[in-house]
Amino acid sequence: MALRNTTLRWGSLAQLFHWLIVALVITQFVLGALSASLPAASLKKFTWLTPHKSIGITILALAVLRLGWRWMNPTPPLPNTLKPYERGLAHFTHIALYVLLFVMPLTGWAMSSARKFPVSWFGIVQLPDFVPRSTPLYETLHTTHALLAWTLGVIAVLHAAAAFKHHFVLKDDVLKRMTPFT
Amino acid sequence: MADSLLPKLRAGSFLVSALSLALGSVVAMAAAPAAPAHYTLDPARSMLRFSFVQAGANNTGRFGKFTTDVLFAADNLPASKINVTVDVGSLDTGDKERDDSLKGADLFDVSKFPQARFVSSKITQASAGRYEAIGKLTIRNVGKDIRVPMTFQTKVESGKTIGYMTGRAVLKRLEFGVGQGEMKSTEWVGDEVNVTFSLRLQPAT
Repeated sequence: MALRNTTLRWGSLAQLFHWLIVALVITQFVLGALSASLPAASLKKFTWLTPHKSIGITILALAVLRLGWRWMNPTPPLPNTLKPYERGLAHFTHIALYVLLFVMPLTGWAMSSARKFPVSWFGIVQLPDFVPRSTPLYETLHTTHALLAWTLGVIAVLHAAAAFKHHFVLKDDVLKRMTPFT
Repeated sequence: MADSLLPKLRAGSFLVSALSLALGSVVAMAAAPAAPAHYTLDPARSMLRFSFVQAGANNTGRFGKFTTDVLFAADNLPASKINVTVDVGSLDTGDKERDDSLKGADLFDVSKFPQARFVSSKITQASAGRYEAIGKLTIRNVGKDIRVPMTFQTKVESGKTIGYMTGRAVLKRLEFGVGQGEMKSTEWVGDEVNVTFSLRLQPAT
């Protein structure tokens, strides 16, 4: 399979970005939920929150690379069979997913900064705090981060449901062209 | 050859030390060292900070309340003295939950041990303006001798001689019992703690 996209299907690198980010985002949901269930002073919280922060920064970096790669490549078009509202909905979900891949890590990083719990990427690089220390700002960012997480969950489910509809109901190649070995 | 040279060398070095001792006493007689100046802290322009690694990231904080008792003269180090008393409960890392956990029984246990203290026993000079204070640091009633590399400079400001002292000590929190129960683990909170200070000292009146 070619590395680059064609006008018919996604190349292997675009697929790798897609599925790697899917796996990492699911991991983030699990780690985020486990961490949210514990008080801040608990050492156990670090067990979940530390990899959550590192993976979040990884997703941010992957999102930058992925978007760059998308711009450098042809994008396989949506099928002509879509009704205008379906086309609009597809565009909306894709744009929202891309936006959230940036906003989720950034709000997470910002809330860590606001509370002066700096982010370390796997203990290798420490990221700078980029918002002032402020409890109300932290509270706002925390709420935003959680609300956006659920928004991301809903949109991702909608996106997956649409892919399954294409594959099982419409029986077109929309899912296949994002799937390796097909 | 080396065997025959050794006694000569020994005799030589004895002569040198005897000479320098005699010379030293002459110098001492010529200029008896002045009593060191007594300084009090300018708390508004002084800083006592600490940093430690938590979950891979460097966390920083400071102690808002501490007092010093400093006697210092660069030419009279044996009579110089640096004592620092820290109100441990004044620590501030910018997050209340983290501060409360630091003040709690497993870490500083502020309700039982409200103060930490450094009392110097000896100050030596390393180079011009650079010194090392050796003394006992007591945290949680655990005393340990530490070495604190530091600098000291004076500046005349509106007719008064002001002392500026900076320094840094690297401590291991577990040696002072700062870490009981699950906090004994260094998995998430590192053992090493960096303490830095920058003091503005005014002449005591």
